[in-house]
Amino acid sequence: MKKLHFFLASAFLCLMLVVPAGAADKDTIVSAIISTIQSMDPAKAYDDSSANKLYNIYDTLVAFKKTKTDEFEPRIATEIPTVANGGISKDGMTYTFKIRKGVKFHNGADLTPQDVVYSFKRNMITDAEGGPMALLLEPLTGIGNTRKDGKIIPGIFEKIDNSIEAKGDTVVFHLPKPFPPILGILTYTAGAILDKDWAIANGCWDGNIANAAKFNGPDTGKEPLHHITNGTNAYQLKKWEAGKEMILERFDDHWGKNAAFKTVRIKIIPEWSTRKMMFLNGDVNDMEIDAQYFAEMEKTKGIKLYKYPQLGVVCAMFTQKIEMTANPYVGSGKLDGKGIPSNFFADKNVRLAFAYAIDYKAIIKEVANGLGSIPANPIVDGLPYQKDTFHPQFDLAKVEEYLKKAHGGKLWKTGFKLTLLHNTGREIRRVAATMMAENISSLNPKFNIDVQAMDWGEYLTAIQQHRLPGFVVAWGADYPDPHNFVYPYLHSEGFYSKYIGYNNPEADKLIKMGIETASIDERRKIYYKLQDIWAEDIPGVTIIQKLGAKALSGHINGFNPNPMYQGTYTFYYQLY
Amino acid sequence: MAAFIARRLMFMVVVLFGVSILMFSILMSFSPERRAAAFVRTPQQVKEIPNLVKKYGLDKPFYIQYVNWIKQISQGNFGYSTVAASPTLDAIKKYFPTTIELNLFSLPIIITLGIWLGTVAGIHRDTFIDHTTRIVAIIGWSLPTFLFALILLMIFYSQFQLFPPEIISNHIDDFISNNPDKFIQYTGMYVIDGLLNGNFEVVFDALKHLVLPVVTQVTVVIAILVRVMRSSMLEEISKDYIITAKAKGVDTHTINHKHAKKNALLPAITVAGWLVALSIEGSVAVEFIFNRAGLGLLLVKAATQLDIPVVLAISILLGLIYVVANLIIDVLYAVIDPRIRLN
Repeated sequence: MKKLHFFLASAFLCLMLVVPAGAADKDTIVSAIISTIQSMDPAKAYDDSSANKLYNIYDTLVAFKKTKTDEFEPRIATEIPTVANGGISKDGMTYTFKIRKGVKFHNGADLTPQDVVYSFKRNMITDAEGGPMALLLEPLTGIGNTRKDGKIIPGIFEKIDNSIEAKGDTVVFHLPKPFPPILGILTYTAGAILDKDWAIANGCWDGNIANAAKFNGPDTGKEPLHHITNGTNAYQLKKWEAGKEMILERFDDHWGKNAAFKTVRIKIIPEWSTRKMMFLNGDVNDMEIDAQYFAEMEKTKGIKLYKYPQLGVVCAMFTQKIEMTANPYVGSGKLDGKGIPSNFFADKNVRLAFAYAIDYKAIIKEVANGLGSIPANPIVDGLPYQKDTFHPQFDLAKVEEYLKKAHGGKLWKTGFKLTLLHNTGREIRRVAATMMAENISSLNPKFNIDVQAMDWGEYLTAIQQHRLPGFVVAWGADYPDPHNFVYPYLHSEGFYSKYIGYNNPEADKLIKMGIETASIDERRKIYYKLQDIWAEDIPGVTIIQKLGAKALSGHINGFNPNPMYQGTYTFYYQLY
Repeated sequence: MAAFIARRLMFMVVVLFGVSILMFSILMSFSPERRAAAFVRTPQQVKEIPNLVKKYGLDKPFYIQYVNWIKQISQGNFGYSTVAASPTLDAIKKYFPTTIELNLFSLPIIITLGIWLGTVAGIHRDTFIDHTTRIVAIIGWSLPTFLFALILLMIFYSQFQLFPPEIISNHIDDFISNNPDKFIQYTGMYVIDGLLNGNFEVVFDALKHLVLPVVTQVTVVIAILVRVMRSSMLEEISKDYIITAKAKGVDTHTINHKHAKKNALLPAITVAGWLVALSIEGSVAVEFIFNRAGLGLLLVKAATQLDIPVVLAISILLGLIYVVANLIIDVLYAVIDPRIRLN
């Protein structure tokens, strides 16, 4: 009898275990992401995983219109300010937003213009380390940080305090100088609107500017809103187990159209095979696809696939003034066949030769699996004022021609030795560096080019130290304006241009004019000229503008692929 | 016995100190900038690197950084984990139960099945059973864990939709989240918590999610034990006292299972103890493929993203497990073999 009981119990257990899982809940979207969501505090969140969730919880004043990067739709503002409707002053230094009425926070409180003013001030005052607040600090105060060398910049909090005010039903921004891309910046979660009382009750800045310093630069993980939210958007945070999953639930008192799906479950699934199986089994409905896996997903029926350009560009950069002290990447440090001098890449012929040595089409076809295009210059497709300019195509004869001219003809005779660098784990960058090395080395036995990978942190530091002769890097948009791309690549103080020693006073002057000019026609002329300067000077060469890729279950509609947002991003409230 | 355990516990402190020094030294071989870069995700944030180096004293001499770290952990502060987006200790508390649950099911199977298979193979040397056992063991040992796990997942989840990845189904997760008063999470292990709450739906669901990870873990880890047990049995069976027993007419079952097996267990126990630690460490690939948010998954992410606080904390925890497992083995030795005296 005991044996019979044991047998029956075992059989029951087996039966329970092998019952197939039930059908997926049609009122839920399961979204698979790869990276940890870092923080729910808008003053800290600067990674894609976090920002995407904040977009669904908090509202901003304005947002990009569906797939557009140069058209906006109002969110907490009731209309997009323009010069014509009086929302933007003629000098481009005052922006007035009419604030929507009847908007409720998730805790039931009403949104007021004071909440909007407080939110911007609080986020800028907090300015958490590694956070996004420089995006707002630069246009609103003229200074990109609240701290320098770890110390608070004198007077910065007063500048923040004076930069925004509530006037009746409106909120007014006072800019120290015109900054045309500001509407694009205001779409970012750094401008998320908080409930003032709730924020103060939860340890945020108390509203007194004299106390601002106490709330500035909290340690990572200690930012007051790290784990809690209270927004006005269509979803509210129900549960967040950091590193594991997040659950969002529809907010039924949303001021706009309610979200179609009641629940959004966001899971971190780092392994592609597992993610793909779960997607195909219907246990995941939304996921980003890396380029190398796109082809295999294209064969799948009954799903929705999207690929769209991303506002980012991969470039090879050539340092025109290399720091030579104890530099292992320059050989002897002389043009003697065993190394290169500091000004090796200052000769345009050398830069052109290296640019002609990359097989751009092969990179896009073989490495990016066709998910990309060759941008003519850093103002990539999807940005305003973009135009086609000269871009070298792979041509070994040209490489030889320019190397024979380089350094007064001496380079071809003496030869050289150097190291090109890329950061680890980035295949396109590795292949581009390797192509330059192998193609150029094949032309002359006296040319020796090594390729070396460096870890990201060391790589960035070495770039800052001007130690890398040639390197491959990328830049992604903070906001969809050419300024965000020409400044790092062409301004003498720009992130990459500064460290390669590129300095063209005309470019600096045009960049300053471009950001301080509100007129569209004037800006177009300025950015056209800057693109011509890039093509003429060749401080670097653009390699690829990648496409983002995303897969959604067949029954889900309403996704708007926007170049500003990578495949990680989903605005769940737009889906139905 | 008590003195022995006390001595070994003191020795444990020395071992953990050694592990911490070793791990700290390895991590210090990365430049301060590289370690600070764990907090930096875009070129736009690169200006933060010097500040981070300065703020966290990453450029200070090794011994100063080590002492600072020891001071912090003595106060329970293991640092902040960027991959878990929470304090390291909280992350380990949250992730560890998942790993324990997996091993709670796989280890007893590995040990009992491994000893049994090894015994049978040893007794039936060069027979069909022996050959089959050896071949299966070799295949299990040779197969990369991640590959085997993926194959199982493709067959039993993708094809037949029977055993899903992850820890628990969405509707069960919702039930637990929405009913904290009806379902109390005593241990963070769903099977045990389900039993303690008397909720068998949770138990069955958790078991369903455990089937493939446990099968993977068992298949991959069991091979060592089977081989050791088989060799040990073969050695014992050929000894004089077994021949004497046979000459005296003792029946074969008694000789094999009461005399030879007991003595053959000693080397197997050594391996089994080591397997406990190895199995926990080996949960890395299993947790990664089955997307079980356990210590292994946390370690993979931490190692790839240079999340130093987590790497250090988990290394020390694994060191602790190894030392404790060895202590248990030593005590078991004395119990099994009276000739061994712990003092």
